[in-house]
Amino acid sequence: MGLIRTYWATALLVTLLVGCSAETPSSKKTVSYPDKNPFPSTYSATQQSPFVIRAVNVLTGTGEQREAVDVLVVEGKISSIGEALNVPGKTIEVDGKGKWLTPGLIDVHSHMGVYPSPQTSNHSDVNEATSPVTARVWAEHSVWPQDPAFEKAIAGGITTFQVLPGSANLIGGRGVTLKNVPSVTVQGMKFPGAPYSLKMACGENPKRVYGAKLVTPSTRMGNMAGYRAAWIKAQKYSDDWNQYLEKSATDEDLLPPERDLELETLKGVLDGEIRIHNHCYKADEMAQMIDMSREFGYEIAAFHHAIEAYKLAPLLAENNICAVMWADWWGFKQEAFDMVRENIAMVDYAQACAVIHSDDPLQIQRLNQEVAKAMSAGNRMGLDIKPAQAIRWLTLNPAKSLGLDDKIGSIESGKNADLVLWDGPPLSVYSHATQVWIDGVLRFDKTRPGVRPTSDFNVGILVPGENRP
Amino acid sequence: MRPLVTFVCLLLTLSQARADSILIRNADLYSGNGVSPATDILVRNGTIVAVGPGLDIPADVTIFEAKGKSITAGLFNSSTQLGVVEVGAIAATNDYSSDNERFTAALKVADAVNPSSTLIPQNRIHGLTHALVMPRTKVGIFAGQAAIIQLGTEGSTVVNDSVAVVVELGEAAAKRVGGSRAIALAILREALDDARDYRDNREEVLKGNRRDYALSLADLSALDPVITGDKPLIVTVHRASDISAVLALGATYQLKLILSGATEGWRVADAIAAAGVPVIVNVANNLPKSYETLGARLDNAARLDAAGVTVLLMGMNRDQTHNAYLVRQAAGNAVANGMAKSAAIAAMTSNPARVFGLQGAGDIAVGSAANLVVWGGDPLELTSEAELVLINGRNIPLVSRSTQLRDRYFQRLQKD
Repeated sequence: MGLIRTYWATALLVTLLVGCSAETPSSKKTVSYPDKNPFPSTYSATQQSPFVIRAVNVLTGTGEQREAVDVLVVEGKISSIGEALNVPGKTIEVDGKGKWLTPGLIDVHSHMGVYPSPQTSNHSDVNEATSPVTARVWAEHSVWPQDPAFEKAIAGGITTFQVLPGSANLIGGRGVTLKNVPSVTVQGMKFPGAPYSLKMACGENPKRVYGAKLVTPSTRMGNMAGYRAAWIKAQKYSDDWNQYLEKSATDEDLLPPERDLELETLKGVLDGEIRIHNHCYKADEMAQMIDMSREFGYEIAAFHHAIEAYKLAPLLAENNICAVMWADWWGFKQEAFDMVRENIAMVDYAQACAVIHSDDPLQIQRLNQEVAKAMSAGNRMGLDIKPAQAIRWLTLNPAKSLGLDDKIGSIESGKNADLVLWDGPPLSVYSHATQVWIDGVLRFDKTRPGVRPTSDFNVGILVPGENRP
Repeated sequence: MRPLVTFVCLLLTLSQARADSILIRNADLYSGNGVSPATDILVRNGTIVAVGPGLDIPADVTIFEAKGKSITAGLFNSSTQLGVVEVGAIAATNDYSSDNERFTAALKVADAVNPSSTLIPQNRIHGLTHALVMPRTKVGIFAGQAAIIQLGTEGSTVVNDSVAVVVELGEAAAKRVGGSRAIALAILREALDDARDYRDNREEVLKGNRRDYALSLADLSALDPVITGDKPLIVTVHRASDISAVLALGATYQLKLILSGATEGWRVADAIAAAGVPVIVNVANNLPKSYETLGARLDNAARLDAAGVTVLLMGMNRDQTHNAYLVRQAAGNAVANGMAKSAAIAAMTSNPARVFGLQGAGDIAVGSAANLVVWGGDPLELTSEAELVLINGRNIPLVSRSTQLRDRYFQRLQKD
């Protein structure tokens, strides 16, 4: 667990530094930027015995399918993959014969926790729709860790998901990447070391929400003006802080710029530390967002709900931007009218980063089926997409969009042991996830109710102790 | 690489093959009765005229070889707004609900059905041949009258312009009528009593010699076949106790009920079965999205079916209309959660045809209308595509606005 150790060491150092400066206010001034991680993850995986899944069919997430191989997990990491592996003593044996193994599934667009069930107004904390630019808000501060949707998602193989603010605003706030583990606090779910994201939204939603209030933006040109005004402020804030940090070491009288939560997040984007996840349906708007990112010097990680990604897939490939898509949703609004079922397959064909997502607490439970539909549509068009390739849309590609592809998204030595064991081919409508491990810890077992989390909300509801599928 | 060209050629071959007579050979036939492997089906003049293994090959027929493929009756989704919505967020294209208080039960959604909707080809090419079109409630408790449409390429798509009256109870209704679900029930009882009163005293009413009614006379007339038990009342309801209340009311008024939603139906499955009430189920809904669906679970359909309830299926969660054809995915998920495959297939073919009195639909039998779909493999697998769609024997071109956009852009991608 090198990752977690490094993380804790950093956290400890930050704590000590903060402590020092607080205790010695009158001594030489400490030049520092505000803490970038004030709500640190407290997640850790309890060390388990090594285990080996024997003779299992594997979709590696890297595009390969391997049949009847062993996968060994040691200290929460994938240790090795091969035939008839020799394993250390006390290794637990898991029979994978006739079963299938995939990497833990990743959904980069979820509102679980911030728009939980029951969907009552008291818990609806997804859109801070009071101002079109709210880069200052953080989705994690809205997450209700007892959302009963989390446990349903792990039954569908979801091990990691990104919770985003809604799309009412031009700039909606920070997203957070969570591990699908039960926890009383959101800090206990936070993926250690995961970069933050910033949610932006193109198109109909912001102009509708604010247009209805008779404030800007009420048009798409108003949308663009709104983003650009925000980036102009962010550039100045960034310059001010950079100058302060540079000069304050020698100039003791220099005062730091006034702290601004909004601009602090935007500066994080300009510094390449916070990743842009941009709700954007239409091809023409994506192209404008790309130009704007060049104007202000930042990168876009992904366009979400990219219904029209197929219209400019080569541009996305050129700019290394992931398109995050549904298999077939359409028609709920004008900007979703030009859906093609082959969208994901065509983006993949153009060698851009294709990602499937749910944006829905029911669909997140069966994203493997969404992959099946998207693959099938591509094959019907004449492509020859195999499940081994298609599963990337739900594993390694979303990991890439989150900046976590060095840790999760594939079954390779050294990666986190986030694994899903399926009782049949993973893209079959009849298949179920039977066991799900996160960092090598068994978090869901379909056959053992004791190893199935349930939220506080469900305790004593209807029939006490009942575990409803 | 020229896959597109091959695909277009395939399409052309199929469209040119459109003919009065077609022989589908060696298809594994899936129905509510189970599977008949490698079966031939002969279609003439829009009707199935022979079904069985190794049929003779008449000289004048087009042959569709379906070895290794499967065939089902055309899919029937029992809860859509097909034909009465084009773009969800554009109110001008939505005709499934109204806030006009004078016409509630009287709203006939069939009057607004647009056979040229882009949703119809997109659903048809993926095997949907029939749909129940449901109005939705905006004021009061009544949504209006549901219709059945056939997704064919010619003629009117409406095959029954008033197949049932739809009423919404439970939380949503409570909110609309003053804050209590009890008031919603009181309004329903009053409406049924008034409809009966109007039926028994029509002349006096028209002369103005009778008390006032809460509903308009148009609404009471719409309820007339409901109180006689001739037309079903579809009741959208979820909580077990609400379902029980509806069943009791149905017994008192001798209504022909159909439940829609019934998220907690499994908790009162035996009572629903005993009352002979069919249920339209949302298979995917397993979250306590509201306090009336705390008992939501994935095997609701399987449990209702096991109790002897006639199950009808709707599509997948948020996507009931634009992708109404995903009723097939709902059936697959019902099977994955314990329902027999034949039962799941019946729930999207023969069950709705029977419940909604659609003669000759939903079955693959001699004399039935030829509403048939050949699937590339297992009929419920999502990797099996519709390869041949017949509606009244007519071979449907597998083209929609969406496939045309696809072709336009895939050609460009291939040139790049």
